[in-house]
Amino acid sequence: MRYRKSQGAPPPITRRVFVGAAMTVGGSLVLGVNLQAQEGGESRATPAATTPRLPSAFVQIGEDDSITIITPAVEMGQGGHTAMPMLVMEELGGDWDRVRVADAAAAAVYNNPLFGMQATVGSFSVRGWYRELRRIGAVAREMLVQAAAEDWSVPIRECTAGNSRIVHGPTGRSRSFGSVAARAATLPIPQEPPLKPRSDFRVIGTSPPRGDIPAKVNGSACFGIDVKLPGMLYAAVKSSPTLGGTLASFNDAAAKPMPGYHCTAALHDGVIVVARSYWQAKKALDQVSTVYDQGALAGWDSAKVSLTLRQGFNEIGKIARHDGDVAAALAAAATVMEAQYEAPYLAHACMEPMNCTARVDAAGCEVWCGTQSPQAARAAAATALGIPRERVKVNTTYLGGGFGRRGQADYVAQAVIAARAAGRPVKLIWSREEDIQHDYYRPAAAIRFRAGLSAKGELTALDCSVVTAASSAFERPNLPPTYTGGVSDTNYSIPNLRVCGVNKDIGVRFGFWRSVNDSHNPFMLEGFIDEIAARTKKDPYQFRRLLLQHAAAQRQLAVLDLIADKAHWEQRRPGHFLGIAAFESFGSYIGSVADITVKDNKVSLHRVIVAIDCGVAIHPDNIKAQLEGGMVYGLSAVLRGEITLDNGAVRQSNFHDYPMLLMSEMPVVECFVVPSAAPPGGVGEPGTGPIGPALANAVYAATGRRLRSLPLSKHNLTVSAVRVS
Amino acid sequence: MFNLTINGMQHDVEVEPDTPLLWVLRDAIGLTGTKFGCGIGLCGACSVLLDGQIARSCTMAVNAVANQPIITIEGLSPDGSHPVQRAWVQESVPQCGYCQSGMILAAAALLKRVPQPSDADIDGAMTNICRCGTYARVRKAIYRAAALQADSLKRIADAAGELS
Repeated sequence: MRYRKSQGAPPPITRRVFVGAAMTVGGSLVLGVNLQAQEGGESRATPAATTPRLPSAFVQIGEDDSITIITPAVEMGQGGHTAMPMLVMEELGGDWDRVRVADAAAAAVYNNPLFGMQATVGSFSVRGWYRELRRIGAVAREMLVQAAAEDWSVPIRECTAGNSRIVHGPTGRSRSFGSVAARAATLPIPQEPPLKPRSDFRVIGTSPPRGDIPAKVNGSACFGIDVKLPGMLYAAVKSSPTLGGTLASFNDAAAKPMPGYHCTAALHDGVIVVARSYWQAKKALDQVSTVYDQGALAGWDSAKVSLTLRQGFNEIGKIARHDGDVAAALAAAATVMEAQYEAPYLAHACMEPMNCTARVDAAGCEVWCGTQSPQAARAAAATALGIPRERVKVNTTYLGGGFGRRGQADYVAQAVIAARAAGRPVKLIWSREEDIQHDYYRPAAAIRFRAGLSAKGELTALDCSVVTAASSAFERPNLPPTYTGGVSDTNYSIPNLRVCGVNKDIGVRFGFWRSVNDSHNPFMLEGFIDEIAARTKKDPYQFRRLLLQHAAAQRQLAVLDLIADKAHWEQRRPGHFLGIAAFESFGSYIGSVADITVKDNKVSLHRVIVAIDCGVAIHPDNIKAQLEGGMVYGLSAVLRGEITLDNGAVRQSNFHDYPMLLMSEMPVVECFVVPSAAPPGGVGEPGTGPIGPALANAVYAATGRRLRSLPLSKHNLTVSAVRVS
Repeated sequence: MFNLTINGMQHDVEVEPDTPLLWVLRDAIGLTGTKFGCGIGLCGACSVLLDGQIARSCTMAVNAVANQPIITIEGLSPDGSHPVQRAWVQESVPQCGYCQSGMILAAAALLKRVPQPSDADIDGAMTNICRCGTYARVRKAIYRAAALQADSLKRIADAAGELS
């Protein structure tokens, strides 16, 4: 697939001429219907069943035979710009080499069919668009075929589409897509064209080269930080050291004489300086003195956070799940086990620090940035400027990492405030220190488990109290909590099972962090399940098998069996110890085995097995890339990832004190993708979670030490990778 | 005013003497392939080749680097054909891609110094941070690049042999 995403600052087209612009670029336009009709009401869900999406919003074919796929998923490394076009192209029958990819504008038509928002989050892109983008590809194909058939005056059924041509079978005549595009655009839009059976797939299940890669090896790929506008200035920003603090006063007298200084803009929680270059802005900002009202988090440190979470164990909170009667079963148990697990705050630390370029004038505002949610970016800019959303245009660039952080748009609001103050276009860039200290953190979390065992050592009851900060955006008074995921949705068969969720939101702002609940909850549950196996003198793998014998658990069981087999669970090498973990995650089933040796508190990680059943595999090579990457993200956090508070301020500031895993520390990872005909599951998120419990369980197997809190660096252990070349 | 030689071209830039080379490249000259990651020389996203050696441009003041030839990712090859770039495409290394300019230059510097590197050589030279987790593919791509480079050198040697 050739990939020609527009580079640099995209032309300042408005949404009004969006369709027209494509027409002038690519000749005539197939399916040229009005995108504007679907742009209103962005926050409402638009179920496909009631509001069919107009195909021109997703696929445009020019007279020059170009195929432009407008992708509702942004590209942040997860492969959205490849998977989305693959779904359309499977049905369209177009030539891969003609595909161009463009990011979608902020518009309701791009709301993910699964959750009704335009956001690239939660491993939802393929899951949400799997059917709809194939349907749109099929709609376009049907219209092209009909146009050619009418032109030839032959029956539609005698014509087929492939390689960007329509072929008339009986005569062998053929025409290119582009040559009938204009005629096709005038035809009525079929709503439910037939879709191929899976056995006929030609695109899905292959691994075409990712179109974004060539630009990423020669420096030409345009990330948000690379956007340049005529007359643009640069801005640096610093916010209140104490989280939640507000700006009381500032003095920028010493900044004004600095080279290149342009202006200062006050935020409610910080200060921005605009200058001719970023370095000048940063140096001038250093000269601004500030006084902050510290706010409610002053006096908070990590010990107090931990204590507060653990106090939550004494509250019932909300019941996420209750099977059987846990209280009665625990009272009747011969043995009751109890353990408490805990995980810290984490920062996302995307390689590209937060940034946004903005232009504000009387007509409105235009922003350029890497964002996982163009609608959130638009809303943030509109709110900051006090203008209607319709007057904000969002241009999405490549994202230098997202991981959930770029679903937030705080940096967009700052950029438009800076641009308004400067009266010129401004590129606002965060320092790494600002990025680490003002994230939307993975919330700290703790779980207390109680298990009841019968006299024969059977697991009869499990009581789980999950305490963390709960997002008000997702919690509803009458619905079960969402943050117990990874525990309350366990597939383990336990006759009496209760999961309670207790919300302890102390005011540290938090958000989604790659794999969300599954970055910590399965670490805790899989650890405690391992404890139960040890107490009842059962093999950890065989014990899990026993709990997965029911019909609904067969895919998880298969993943468990696969990783045990690949890790040689039954024939491990002398001196080696294995830890295992498997669970359901984002509609997929994931599992991992860690293979270690230990000497004097020094853990050597020899290899890691990871396997996923993610249903129909769209792009198998990219699935492996996501598993490899998730493993690095997860292992980095598990080994030493920790954001701590001191008087309400984040102690860590950059990669020296929030260190990342390096190449030399990365073990050999063997990835397996289970062949599956099930509907697609998630891929980007699930790979993060399993290494934590697999590694901790291996350490227990080797040493008898049960590691119940993260990161593992707190346990006087060093972990290093062993590579056999 | 500083005179810099970047990718074989002369550039005169008017910046304060303490301006890091990174920001001179990005803001003054417009070579944005060199990335800002941490500002303290820890992540390697800003790596360039300075007189043939890998160097982190975010902590290098412009007045300390004038007179030394600088190669950025844009200048590694005219058409993306450097063995490391070809290997990176063939192994589908980049995910988000943000750290990859630095990774590629670090790999190119390694292969120039050690044409057939071992895992230990790679571990020692490749200290760039990648949050997407492309490490396994970076390693594979370095081995592939080493083979591509050896193949190119062999062909050049064979051609030279035929000529003589």
